[in-house]
Amino acid sequence: MPLENSWIFPVVESIHVIGLAAFVGTIVLEDLRTLGLNIPDTRHIKAWTHAGLTAMLLTGAAMFLSDTARYLHNPAFQVKVALLVVSLIAHFTLRRAGTRFAAIFSLAAWTCVVLAARAIADFDV
Amino acid sequence: MFNPLLEMARYFQDTSLRLDLSQSTWAVPIIGATHVLAIAWFVGSVLVNDARLRRFRWTGLVILVFTGALLFWSQPLRLYYSDFFRAKMLLLVLIGVSALLPARYTRVTLVLSLVLWAAVIFASRGIAYR
Repeated sequence: MPLENSWIFPVVESIHVIGLAAFVGTIVLEDLRTLGLNIPDTRHIKAWTHAGLTAMLLTGAAMFLSDTARYLHNPAFQVKVALLVVSLIAHFTLRRAGTRFAAIFSLAAWTCVVLAARAIADFDV
Repeated sequence: MFNPLLEMARYFQDTSLRLDLSQSTWAVPIIGATHVLAIAWFVGSVLVNDARLRRFRWTGLVILVFTGALLFWSQPLRLYYSDFFRAKMLLLVLIGVSALLPARYTRVTLVLSLVLWAAVIFASRGIAYR
């Protein structure tokens, strides 16, 4: 499906970025709070974290399925997926413990995912 | 006719920084990723909407504007002619104006600003394609 050439792709991608803002934005605050920064309780916005994650997974899958060959051969995409799997597993296991290490790991992991993701467009083979 | 915005874009286009940015393999991806992270940082602090996060929010905004300026610098003329970029700048002006609304409309301002920021993201993604 030539999704790339229609207006649909940028729209799906925008929803992906909005999901990212809600997901990563709330996680960063929570991690910085764990690290002892003077940040208010973020538990009441947990719904945003999960809504953001859902939006990202759905739109991410849609973009991937629009051109699987493009993504499978893209080195940045390969790195991103590997990092994403590690980050997600850490998010639902390690991070539950609420330790300083988990918070630092989470911050570093999501930063790397975003770096690799942004690079996908720049490293099309 | 003299067009100050076009002249400014032309001036940036002819700088050596523009060449460095657009020819480097890593500059634009890294600056772009930092821009996206700053969006998350900024939006997160808007969602929590706590006065203690004011400084945090401004830090995000400063990083956002700084990396955005560098991204503009990497291709000024193309962006000058992009309709989506123009829409984005217009939306940012509207956000600036909405921030000046009186304090008693806090809730209206919050919802309005989230809607406008979402529109900014849609316009921004459009830039990459046209």
